[in-house]
Amino acid sequence: MQYKNYSSILDNIKELLPYLSLTFQYVLLALLFGFIFALLLAVMKLCKYKVLRAIAQIYTTIMRCLPSVVLLFVVYFFLPKFSREVLLIDIDDVPKILFVVLTFALFLGGFLSEVMRSAYQAVSKDQMDAALSIGLTPLQAFIRIILPQAFYYAIPNLANTVIYLLKEGALAYTIGLIDVMGRAYQMNTLSYSVYPIPIFVALALIYWPLAIVIEQLFKILERLMNPIKEDKKTAGQKLKGFKAKYLGFLVQTPKGGAEK
Amino acid sequence: MLTLTNVHKAFGSNKVLKGVNLTVEKGDVVAILGPSGSGKTTLLRCINFLERADKGRLKLGEIDISLKHAHSKDVLAVRRKTAFVFQNYSLFRNKTVLQNVTEGLIIARKIPKDEAIKIAKEQLDRVGLSDKYDAYPNQLSGGQQQRVGIARAVAVKPDVILFDEPTSALDPELVGEVLCVIKALAKSGITMVIVTHEMSFARDVASKVVFMDEGVALASGTPKEIFVDCQEPRVKQFLARFNNEIDYNI
Repeated sequence: MQYKNYSSILDNIKELLPYLSLTFQYVLLALLFGFIFALLLAVMKLCKYKVLRAIAQIYTTIMRCLPSVVLLFVVYFFLPKFSREVLLIDIDDVPKILFVVLTFALFLGGFLSEVMRSAYQAVSKDQMDAALSIGLTPLQAFIRIILPQAFYYAIPNLANTVIYLLKEGALAYTIGLIDVMGRAYQMNTLSYSVYPIPIFVALALIYWPLAIVIEQLFKILERLMNPIKEDKKTAGQKLKGFKAKYLGFLVQTPKGGAEK
Repeated sequence: MLTLTNVHKAFGSNKVLKGVNLTVEKGDVVAILGPSGSGKTTLLRCINFLERADKGRLKLGEIDISLKHAHSKDVLAVRRKTAFVFQNYSLFRNKTVLQNVTEGLIIARKIPKDEAIKIAKEQLDRVGLSDKYDAYPNQLSGGQQQRVGIARAVAVKPDVILFDEPTSALDPELVGEVLCVIKALAKSGITMVIVTHEMSFARDVASKVVFMDEGVALASGTPKEIFVDCQEPRVKQFLARFNNEIDYNI
């Protein structure tokens, strides 16, 4: 029986990289839907109706205490069965990635709603008073004064959540989604577990810089949002330097373009 | 021009205002004095609907509304005819000094941006901050922040400005610069209601002094009537230290 040779870390990285696009897809989609869901939950938590507050709180507690792999299995195995037998809709053909997105959107709802709630409450109440006193409507005050400040307070926790999601998302391989982690497992199996170290080190070398880039981007964002001007300036320069250094090929204008 | 009648407000079982009446005429500088917890700040916040009173009426120009049941449209109208200066300055932390002042002009009063900037710069020059247009609030001293707060309030050309202990968070040196600005405003004829613990300031600048205690307006009159002639024992007791009659024997 012939098996593949996966002894070179560099070759393994090259082999794994294309599968990263699938990882990006579910991370971004889960973030998008999770964010919307979290917004709803956060509004419920801050509203004046006790029942809504309790519902949002209980939901958050359940999600926090549930291992994500359990939820993933519930969503992936139970939902199609439920849909087929109760709703009489066959969803067996739905791509696996959507189950992953749904699972993590449900998770992030709980997580991010706490991030949003705490950020909102971190903005001191007098900011709202001041905005109302100069004649802004409550909605204008929220959008123009409260939200930008709350967003600033939320950035560190947002960065945490995105990196957490990137890593937790790797569990998608357990339902057979071939993303970058799934492919690593596949390669390991194809090679009869002869080269686990080169394969998984290659995987680590992909995840690691990715997490660092996300971390740094959020740090720049934090400086940009900081309400002190000096910091804004330096952050702007840093961003320019970063672009020039690493993304130069993206912003280069074709020669002769200025003459037109 | 501004009349409050029978204002009641309780926080839970704590009754803070127990039927306060207040009349402010155009051009008046009304100083509200009184011990901490007497309801001065709450009264001021009720005028601007930052707190909802439990009972009472507010008359401001043509507006005549219930403090409890006022519609949000009327609330907005009252807020756009008044301005508030806060004890802790409460500048918008995410906006520059200039933006702090233009915000109310551009967004609430729909004044074109160029004109708003012109007005804002005028007001900031008036409080002596012409070199701080682009600074952020946390780069300023307390006194400077409070002067921005005053410029922000004056810029919207309100019928009446409400000052909530504008100097209480400042050190004695900075108190001077802020009081100077308020004094200049008083001379220019702007109607003001000032809650303050600065007795000599109230005596010298106010046209009318109101003394509040335990949620009611105990006495009111000209500074002389309150500081010199008032026979109300609680007022005399409160002003004793200011009038240098304090008894250090316990």
